[in-house]
Amino acid sequence: MSNDSILLLPIILPVVLGIICFCIPERFFKLRNFLALLSNFVLILIISGLWHSKTIYYVSDWFMSTAIFSLKADGFSKFILLWISIFSFLITLYAWSKMTGSKSRQFITYLLITCGFACGAVLANTLLVLLFFWEALLVTLYLFIVLGGENSYRTALKAFVLVGFCDFCFILGAAIYWKITGSFDFPAKPVQIEGLAILSFVMMIIGVTGKAGALPFHTWIPDAAIDAPVSFMAFLPGALEKLIGIYLLTRVCFQFFHLIPGSGSSIGLMTLGSLTIVIAVSMALIQKDVKRLLSYHAISQVGYMIVGIGTGIPAGIAGGIFHMLNNAIYKSALFLGAGSVEHRTGTTDLKSLGGLYSQMPLTGLCFVICAAAISGIWPLNGFVSKEMIIHGSLETGYRIFAIACWIGAILTFASFLKASHAMFFGEKNNKFSNVKENNFSIVFPMGVLALLCIVFGLFSRIPLNAISNSVAVVSGHDFSTHALNLFNPVSGVTILCLIFAFLLHRYGYLKSGKKAYLASEVVHRLPVINTLYNLAERKIFDIYEQGIRFIRVFSIALYYGFDRSADWLYERLVVESGVKAINALRSIHRGFVSGYVAWIFAGIIIIIIFTFAF
Amino acid sequence: MFLFIFIAVPLVVAGFLPLVSRVSKKFLPDFLANLCLVILVAASITTFKLWPGAGSFSHKIFWFGDSLNISVVLDGLSLLMIFIISSISLAVGLFSIDYMDKYGSRAIYYAMFLVLVAATNGIVLTSDLFTMYIFIEAAGLASYGLVSLGKTRDSTEGAFKYLILSAVASSFILLGIALIFLTTGTTNIKEIASVSRLVPKLSVILFLAGFGLKSGLVPFHFWMPDAYTGAPAVLPALSSGVFVKVAGVYAMSRVFFNVIGFSYNISSLLVYLGIISILVGALLALGQTRLKRLLAYSSISQVGYIFLGIGTGTPLGIIGGLLHLFYHSIFKSLLFLNAGAVEYATQTDESTELGGLGAKMPFTSTTNVIGLLSAAGVPPLNGFWSKLIIVIALIQIKMYFYAFIAIFASVLTLWYLLLIQRRVFFGKLKEQCENAGEIPFWMNLSLVGLALACFWTGVVFAPVILKWILPAANVLVEGIRSSINTFIIGGS
Repeated sequence: MSNDSILLLPIILPVVLGIICFCIPERFFKLRNFLALLSNFVLILIISGLWHSKTIYYVSDWFMSTAIFSLKADGFSKFILLWISIFSFLITLYAWSKMTGSKSRQFITYLLITCGFACGAVLANTLLVLLFFWEALLVTLYLFIVLGGENSYRTALKAFVLVGFCDFCFILGAAIYWKITGSFDFPAKPVQIEGLAILSFVMMIIGVTGKAGALPFHTWIPDAAIDAPVSFMAFLPGALEKLIGIYLLTRVCFQFFHLIPGSGSSIGLMTLGSLTIVIAVSMALIQKDVKRLLSYHAISQVGYMIVGIGTGIPAGIAGGIFHMLNNAIYKSALFLGAGSVEHRTGTTDLKSLGGLYSQMPLTGLCFVICAAAISGIWPLNGFVSKEMIIHGSLETGYRIFAIACWIGAILTFASFLKASHAMFFGEKNNKFSNVKENNFSIVFPMGVLALLCIVFGLFSRIPLNAISNSVAVVSGHDFSTHALNLFNPVSGVTILCLIFAFLLHRYGYLKSGKKAYLASEVVHRLPVINTLYNLAERKIFDIYEQGIRFIRVFSIALYYGFDRSADWLYERLVVESGVKAINALRSIHRGFVSGYVAWIFAGIIIIIIFTFAF
Repeated sequence: MFLFIFIAVPLVVAGFLPLVSRVSKKFLPDFLANLCLVILVAASITTFKLWPGAGSFSHKIFWFGDSLNISVVLDGLSLLMIFIISSISLAVGLFSIDYMDKYGSRAIYYAMFLVLVAATNGIVLTSDLFTMYIFIEAAGLASYGLVSLGKTRDSTEGAFKYLILSAVASSFILLGIALIFLTTGTTNIKEIASVSRLVPKLSVILFLAGFGLKSGLVPFHFWMPDAYTGAPAVLPALSSGVFVKVAGVYAMSRVFFNVIGFSYNISSLLVYLGIISILVGALLALGQTRLKRLLAYSSISQVGYIFLGIGTGTPLGIIGGLLHLFYHSIFKSLLFLNAGAVEYATQTDESTELGGLGAKMPFTSTTNVIGLLSAAGVPPLNGFWSKLIIVIALIQIKMYFYAFIAIFASVLTLWYLLLIQRRVFFGKLKEQCENAGEIPFWMNLSLVGLALACFWTGVVFAPVILKWILPAANVLVEGIRSSINTFIIGGS
């Protein structure tokens, strides 16, 4: 076990450089951006340098041995670290052009600090260190969203409260876990999920899935899509939260606890995942703003990952983690694409956009590739990971989860057909006739990510091997037995789903008078679904909003019932009796010397009596 | 010989000051007086460094080769008091460089100031009860003069009341000393201590009344509010910070612990009177709106804490009491000088007429907050530690009710001081305060220095206790031990 303080570098380097970048004045923005890029690049180099070494540890005394600061970089952590640094690099490059002015300075700072803290969370080897970095990410989350504009503090608060609540549940789960195992360290042997451990497991799952963005703590993400900068959306909800959220979910399910395939907790996880898939993607279908649409898809895809890991079967787990990686790639690329369009046209409203492919070919190409990837079209990476997940869920014996995945696939493809059609093909809007393609710094990240989609799809063995090796260390499963035979009945059903989605889109397109953005109205206007959609748009199902309403009523009740009465009691008892006592005393101090002398003699006499009598 | 400078130097300078004032009305008196005080502070620190940590020294005074029968004695307790006297006097001296602009007759003021300093130094350095009495009288005379320096009718009236009541107290003290002389044949502290069983109980009561009045213990406190209200703010700072401590607390502790011998009766008397002082002072302060009067009542309350601590008779209690004595001088002087600063800026000290001064006088407002938090006992400022130790000492001897009252009075202290802070400094600016400006440099320096001292002594309270307070407490604890020997075991 080597004690390598190089592990501190992924944490300290970005944070320190983030603070430095914050202090660089606006005039030197080129220097600042370059510094940020350099730091991310160096980070990638460091991590790739560590790639082939064995597990590295770093332990140090913290606060005089009451808490041990322990970091560990095993295969899985290194894998996630690599991707965190790659995404940081790409988004920093993107933000060079996309964000300007003082917002750019703050954005770069928050990005670097978030990167550092995320690395810390991934590298943590004890609960305390993990919790520290996990919670610290909340701060940058809030600050990021506030960057969006004057009114985005409301969404920022909502995000903070929702994610903070999830983190709080995680802390509770961690505390109960400490009670069970008696130590803060990550265990060598997982705990069975029974008795008190069930509560701990549930709390931790709430914490982790909420952070990743699953139901029911997802409602801030669509709001943030509008209120926060797009680069943030590509970075945190698009990539980073999934990476660290599912990383921790894997550790929770297989290293902290022993998730048995087919057990209650496994079914519970898969149910949560399926609900997330179906509900979120239905909401995505009807959105008219591409950023909101993308954000709902981000939520929905998390459901796939949860289903995959919840199966507890090697195929499913590998699929879930591969899906996490793929999702990070194509989701952030999609957000970057939407941001690229927004940068040139100033809007992301599907109604006003159209026919931009000829003017912005590179953006369009990348967007279409990634849209195909997320829909699960062969030979892109999304297809591979989705198939693995569906295989895994079928192996558990419950077909309902596979059905949910397929419904998700249909609606995903339909909504992306709508989005791509409405943005890049179809009628042009004369307002945007001067729009051109964006410059290198915006296009390059998108291009790299789209390319990765293709590469990971065609040569899926490479990432899958890396994943299998790294996750096997954590979960102890044997991944060598899964075989992926692509041309089997399961993938046949998937292809049928895709065709169905295409027909649905075409039908809606034609029915609405050849307006691409209205293509989903067919589904929207279905009888029961219509009411549900209206309620959802009115935020009836949003627990944050409902929670706020309840708290308002509760606090009014508390005020009148409890606070006012305590106040009255205080007035009567304390203030009035105090005033009486004070006035009585003041009446003695009239100012006449003779009175004072009298009191002195009286005092002496009392003291004499006291002394001589006792 | 070296110790004698504490008494001689201020007296000599005070003697020369009226002559100097013919030459220079402002600069030379300021300079000479403050130089003298700086010398005193340096001397006290040097004495501390030279002092071996325990034991007492006495120096005989020689006059051209013959030894006079006067000696100065220094032990741990005296050393602590000398340091307190010098440092608080320096702070007040610096403050009065600008403050006395409004009062005139600067040289006379400094002369009386220095006489007060010399006399209080004399009280702590003497080993003879009668000499102590002489110095107490001298210091008292200087204070009466200082009180009447204020230009209002209030100050003359306050000075008069102070004089009369103080005369009553002095006669009690003299009577007590006379009784002791009658029964033991000597007035030397050490010699009386060896025959302390002969001392009559009546003299204990007389000393309690006399020194209690000097220190402001209820029911002997009546002069304090009236005297402090009319006087220029430097006087309450000096008096409450220095004179009350020395002529009141020090003298009483010295007499009760080292001369007469501590007993259960004395302990309960001090504790009861202490608790009553705490409560009465705090309650009365709550009802006040005039700044200096409120702070005077607050002083009464805090002196109650000191006596409560010392009166428990346990080592921890004595440490707490002495620590509170030290820290109270600092923060109470700070608060009084702040009131003086407010008065300097706005010509009034009625808090209902004031408001919103914080914007115009940020330094004063901040230092006032620090003083306020110290007085209320908020960590990490100094008042917290001293009150904490007193409370712990009370709990140690199972006097839970008293501990509760001590803590409760802390809340009251915070209450009334915060009221003042809110009324005077926060809130909207009133019309009378339009012309207020930030105070001049020397006043500011003094206030900031005291505030930093509050903060510093709060943070490094442990070394302060170990190096300054513990030797002083040991002196008193020695007194208890020897009285136990004398009374109970029967030895000497």
